[in-house]
Formats: sequence, structure tokens, C-alpha cells
Amino acid sequence: MGTYVRLKVAAEAYAVPVGHVLAIVGPGDLTPVPGSLPEILGVRKLRGQIVPVINLPLVLGLTAAAPQPQRQLLLAEVDGVKAGFTIDEVSSVGDLDGPLEGAESDFLLGVMVRDGELLGVIDVPGILRSLARAGS
Amino acid sequence: MTDPDIELREAFHEDVTHRLDEMEAALLAIEAGDPGTGMIDSLFRNVHTIKGTAGMVNMTDMATVAHAVEDILAVVREEGKFPPGLVDPLLHATGALRARINGAEMPVDPLLDELAVGLTALRQPRSVSPVGEPAGPAARTGATGVTGVAETGTVAGNPDSPQIPRSQPSPEQLPGSGAVEIPAWGLPAPGPGLPIAPVRPLPPSAVSSGTGSSPVPEQRSVRVDPVKLDHLLDLIGEVVQDGRRITHALGPEADLPEELSATLGSGARTLEQLRESAIRMRTLPLAAIAGPLPRAVRDFARAVGKDVTFTVAGADTELDRLILESLAEPLTHLLRNAVAHGIEPAADRERAGKTPSGHIELRAVSRGSLVEIVVADDGRGVSAEVADRALREGSLADLLASAGYSTAGQVSHLSGRGVGLDAVKSYAHSMGGALEIRSQPGRGMEVILLLPLALAMMNVLLFERGEAVFGVPLAVVDEVVEVPRPTTVGGRPSLTVRGRPLPAADVALLLGAHAPPLRTRPHALIVAVLGRRMAVLCDALVGEEEVLVKPLGPLLAGAGYLGAAVLGDGRIALLPEPAVLARGRYDAVAPVEPVHPPGPPKILVAEDSYTVRQLQRSILETAGYQVVTARDGREALRIISQDAGIAMVISDLEMPGLDGLGLTRAIRGDPARAALPVVIVTSLGSEEDQRKGIEAGADAYMAKHNFDQQALLATVERLIGR
Repeated sequence: MGTYVRLKVAAEAYAVPVGHVLAIVGPGDLTPVPGSLPEILGVRKLRGQIVPVINLPLVLGLTAAAPQPQRQLLLAEVDGVKAGFTIDEVSSVGDLDGPLEGAESDFLLGVMVRDGELLGVIDVPGILRSLARAGS
Repeated sequence: MTDPDIELREAFHEDVTHRLDEMEAALLAIEAGDPGTGMIDSLFRNVHTIKGTAGMVNMTDMATVAHAVEDILAVVREEGKFPPGLVDPLLHATGALRARINGAEMPVDPLLDELAVGLTALRQPRSVSPVGEPAGPAARTGATGVTGVAETGTVAGNPDSPQIPRSQPSPEQLPGSGAVEIPAWGLPAPGPGLPIAPVRPLPPSAVSSGTGSSPVPEQRSVRVDPVKLDHLLDLIGEVVQDGRRITHALGPEADLPEELSATLGSGARTLEQLRESAIRMRTLPLAAIAGPLPRAVRDFARAVGKDVTFTVAGADTELDRLILESLAEPLTHLLRNAVAHGIEPAADRERAGKTPSGHIELRAVSRGSLVEIVVADDGRGVSAEVADRALREGSLADLLASAGYSTAGQVSHLSGRGVGLDAVKSYAHSMGGALEIRSQPGRGMEVILLLPLALAMMNVLLFERGEAVFGVPLAVVDEVVEVPRPTTVGGRPSLTVRGRPLPAADVALLLGAHAPPLRTRPHALIVAVLGRRMAVLCDALVGEEEVLVKPLGPLLAGAGYLGAAVLGDGRIALLPEPAVLARGRYDAVAPVEPVHPPGPPKILVAEDSYTVRQLQRSILETAGYQVVTARDGREALRIISQDAGIAMVISDLEMPGLDGLGLTRAIRGDPARAALPVVIVTSLGSEEDQRKGIEAGADAYMAKHNFDQQALLATVERLIGR
């Protein structure tokens, strides 16, 4: 099926196809952007560029009551558009196979069961498209 | 003097090549047996466009040949079928057009002859030997074995050899061909009495060998993807800023060893030159788009029966390629307006003591990092009444650009002077520039577009508000003043500058930013936006800086920024669109002081139950608070992000979509609003829920089952500090 970055978002398990992932970086200094969507926490500098940072738990509608660990950013790129997504941490990188079950969220490609836990596969292009639509 | 058309040729080289590719693919398919019925339209469209663009850059020889091809295709289209015999001459023509845009000379007359033969054959299919039948093997061998010149010479030198009679009509009968100058092609014009050789049938191979034998066209420029240029400019900008940081870190120049100081100085100068030349790579002279304008003005004038002369001044003024590409449309609009509504009919002009023919000038003037593009006419200008109104209400540009405004004196089918100006105005603002209009009634009008020389670099004035730093284009800032104390006019904050009251607004409110109250002696940027002046209040000035503008990307496209810049100290400065600063004039004005925001604190109630929502609203409003409500967490977040005045959130725990815990976490995760007090109210009320709520970052947790009005108000009061 392909290689995925497995990660924790608000203490839940997710995976992102590795093709969209540029890097995992520290949270950095965020500059809030007044007037932007609530899902966008702000912008930060990254390798000479200015990159929006997206509140991933909020996008995914996560409401689990776990304390928020130290955040990291998953830096993703789709069609030349870069964005950072807040995550808890990266668990592992590796191949995943097996069928994807349909998910109810607009922002998941599907879910699969791995090591006894439910793994949501995040639709990075879908999230960026939808935010770009909402933000313009 | 350089040929201003070179740039435009560069620009349309790609387009023409693409169209020729398409045409040749279609022709080859037809030759291969495709009836071609579906392709005739696309062939026609493509050659029509080539004709038009070639005419625009004064490549009249190309336009003529394209015109002849178009004529043939028009007949083909009428007939509804494509005789395969036409493929050769048409391929010959497309090959020659291709060679022409690559710098080769074009044998116009032989091509026209050949096409004329094709056209005649098409019209009288039975009067000549079957068109498209290959000529005799001997002729074909001869044709492929020699260059085009020699071949034509050979055939022409032997009056007995042509199998196809002398073609009619002559090239002069082809529309447009009479004006063509014969380019030097190494072939003497056919003398009288010498039969003109029908150049056909030249197989495509002969065409390509002929082209191939001509000298390789001189490479006058290198084509570079603009994205690469942007990247180069980005990198240079980074180096410039690294340089500034180093200089900053080294301390005062006077304390440095002389050699180091000299090296730093020369390094800075070299970098400056490097940056200049990188910017120059992105710029083109106005001439690159001005070519078709005289013709356009002439056509507009004819259409409305006016006599207009048109001049262009400063055509060598350079502008950012991106701006230039987008400028043609607004410019055409302004010229059309000037012709239709500015210039009076000749009789009126003479009565007013003017020359009967009107004059319109397009002028480009460089003003530092800005370029002024002016469309000036000596027509009637605005009426005295409009001029007066503009004085009273702000600016002429704003008045005329307000939607639907028209200065057309009488009802006519033509749009008024102002129609479409709003689009021109928003164009200028979207480019980080401005629109200005000057007019003297009866004397004429000047419409001025102020545009940045390069989109990537911008001179901005940087200022601080709260913890954030912002920048506005220097072009829109008139002056900066320190505000001793606030005043209000008609209940609205206002500032008296040089004896004139100006509306004032806190920049945080204009942008919807979260910031503590303004400092006691704030600074005010007096900006002229949308033609009006207003005072934008901030905490402190940082200074003027030429910054590299980086785009914020599609996710933030609607947030109202030109982009952002990374400053010497590493901070990110957001660059609001000037128009955003102007909108506050009507809807975001706020007092300069006091320390506490005016009026009662505003509380956001997020609750999905209508009853509970209204209950809480009435409790809070009775206690003197302002209340805003949201039906779920997502709506609440949207309100919080748009209304900086929200002082506190009271949220239900269970809501559809984003619930109270999610809302709380989102607020805590937003650096700008992390300190916003949040109270969670729920019917669950278990200790476990309470723990979750507190962990999520709620300041207080109240259970609905022992809901106590006084306890709620006490909690609110404690958290808001009132």
C-alpha cells in the first residue's frame, strides 16, 4: 500500500502517506495572522519561506481529553503549497498494507487497524484544498 | 536603440509555437487519412490568432502569410471538407512561420504563390491537374536534392517544365499581401515574362532541409522560468538580510577595524547591485505591452466618431513582468474611458477653444520603487459639481470609482466615465499600489496608477502593535505623528493633524488582531488609502525598510495581506493590504484610549441548546455584559478569530462538531488568544468531566444541575476582573 509516517495527534494514532511529508520540525516561533481561519494558528519561518501552521487536532475535530504534549510540526507539501501541521510526535515510519476502511471524516482517506489500534490516514491534499477554499 | 518588440516576441514565441504544433498535428492527421472535418475550426482559430499576434508585434510578413492560410481555411470551412492536396502547402507555410519566429527570414512571395495555387485549386478543383498528386518523380527528386532557391530557379529557368499552369490570382489579390515588403531572401524578384514557379509540390522534407540549411538563428536571450527568477531573488534577499544581521551583530561601524568595515561596505554594495540586477531580470519596459495600444485607441475613436491623437511617453520605463502582464486590461479600460467620455466631440472642443482633435497620452514615470502610469486626456474632465463633491467627500478617485458612478452627461448606451474604475482601483490595490485621479473641469483628466516597480521588493514602514510587527507600503503613508491625547468627533475617535480632523482607528481593530490596549502616547500613521486620509494608530514605529515580500500562499489568500517579510531581527512582519486599513474608516473605528475597552465586556456564549443559550444571554445582559452567541465550537472559534473584543467565553461541554473541550484546547493553542478566560458549563458535571475540562485549559467549570445565576456572575466577574 505504501510508506507512511505514523504519528500521534492529540494522543490519537494517525498516518500520513510519506510522499506528502517534507520534514518533522520543532514548533518554532509562531506569528499569528489576524483575520485568518481559526484552523490556522499562524505562520512561521522555515528555510527562507513563510509557512502557515495548521491546528491539526482542530481540523480533525479531536475532542479527546488528553493533555497536550509538546507539539511538533509535520511539514507537508502538496502541489508546491507548504504547510505545517501540529502533531504530538512521530511514532514510526514504515510500510503499511491492508484495506482502508471508509472514514466519516472529510479529512481522512480512511482508517485501518494496526497493532490493535485504529489508525486514521490523513488526507493532506484534502485538508489544504478545503482550507484554501474556506480561506479565500 | 533596442527593438522594443523583442520582448513581446519572446512572450508570444511560446504561444505561436504551440499553435503551430497543433496545426501541424492536425495537418498530418488529415494527410494520414483523417477527413479533418473536426479539425478545420481549430486550424482556422490557430492561424487566426497567429495572424493577430504577429500583427501586434509588427511582423507583417508573418501576418500576411498567416492571412493567406486563413483565407484558404475559410474556403475549406465553407466547403466542409479538406482536400488532402492542401496539406503540403499548408505545412510549408507552418514550417516557414516556425522558422520565422526562430529568427529566419521568410520567403513571403513564394509562400503566397504556393498558397494562391492551393486556393485556386480549391475553388476550381477540376480546372487543374489533381491537387495534391505528387509531381513527377523527377521534379520531386530535384526538389529534395537542392535548396529552395536553387529549386525555384531551376523550375523557373525552364518554362516547359511546370505541370501546373501559372497560378491565379496573383499575390496582390490576396487580402493584405499588397503591403508586404519583400524580405531579402536571396532570390531576385521574378522578372516580367518569367513564369513564376509554382513552388509546390514541395514535400515537407524539402521545407525542413531548407530551414535547416539556413544559418542558426542568433540567440538574443535566454528563456528562464519566472519561478527560478523568484527563487534567485528570494535567495539574494536572504543574503542581504544575513548581511544586515552580521552588520548589526558587529556593532557600531566606528568600532570596527578599518579593513573589516571597508570589506563590509563593499560587500553590501555588491549585494545591492546583485539584487538590483535580479530585480531587473523580472522587469520589462512598458513598450512590451504598449504596441497594440495606438491601434486600440484609433479603433475606439472610430467607433464613437471622434478624432483622437495618441502618444506614449516613457515607454522604456520598466515594470515587474507580472504587473506588466496584468496591466494591459486596466490600461485598455482607461483608454477606452478617455476616448468615450473624456474627449468631447470636435464641435464642442472648438467651442471651448480647443483643437478639434483630442489628445490622449499614456505616460510612465519611474518614482523610486514605484512607477506612475498615467492616462491623461485633454477632454472635458469632470463637472465642477463632481469636483466640488470630491473635495467635500475625499478624493476624486474614490468618488468616481464608487460603484455605478457615472459622469456621462446624458443617458447613452455607453458606460459612464466611472464605470469599471472600481475594478481598476482594486487592481492597483491588489498590486500594492494606488489609484489617483486629477481633473480640472473643462480641461481634462489624469488617471494615475501607482504601481510597485517589482512585486518582490517593497519599501515599507514597519510598526508595532502588541507583540506583532506590521508593515505598510511607504507609498501610502503621508506622515507619522505622535498622538498626545485622543479626541472624538461625533462620538468617533479622531485626530487633528495640521488643523484638519482625521478619522482614527487602532490597527489591531482594523485587522482583527488581539492586542493589549494602545500605549498612552501611541503613534499614528497618516495613510492615504482609497484616496482618503486616515490615522492608523499603533504602539510604536520600527522604521522604514526595503523588504522582500514573501507570499502567504493560498491558505491565507483571503486574510487581507500583500504578504509577509522576515525582518533583520528574525521577526515576521505581516503586510496588510492598504485597502484593509481603509475599511476601518466606517466599521472598525475605536477610541485611542482608555485602558479598558469601551462599553461593557463582551462575552461569547457557545451552547447548542437554544433555551440554555437564551437563558445565559439574559442573565449576562441583565448584569450589564454584551453577549454574542455561537451554536457550536467551530462557530465560536470563528467569532473569536474575527472579533478581538471578545473578553471571555462560556461554553457548553457537549456540542456537535467541535465540543467545549476542543474549543478550549483550540483557544489555548492559539498564541494570540491563549489567555482568553474560558468557563465550561455542562449537564454532566462529574468529577471526571471536571478534570478533563481543567486539563483542557478551562479556567472554571460549572455544572448545569446546580446552576446558580449568582455563581455564574461571580465567576465571570472574577475572570474578567470587573
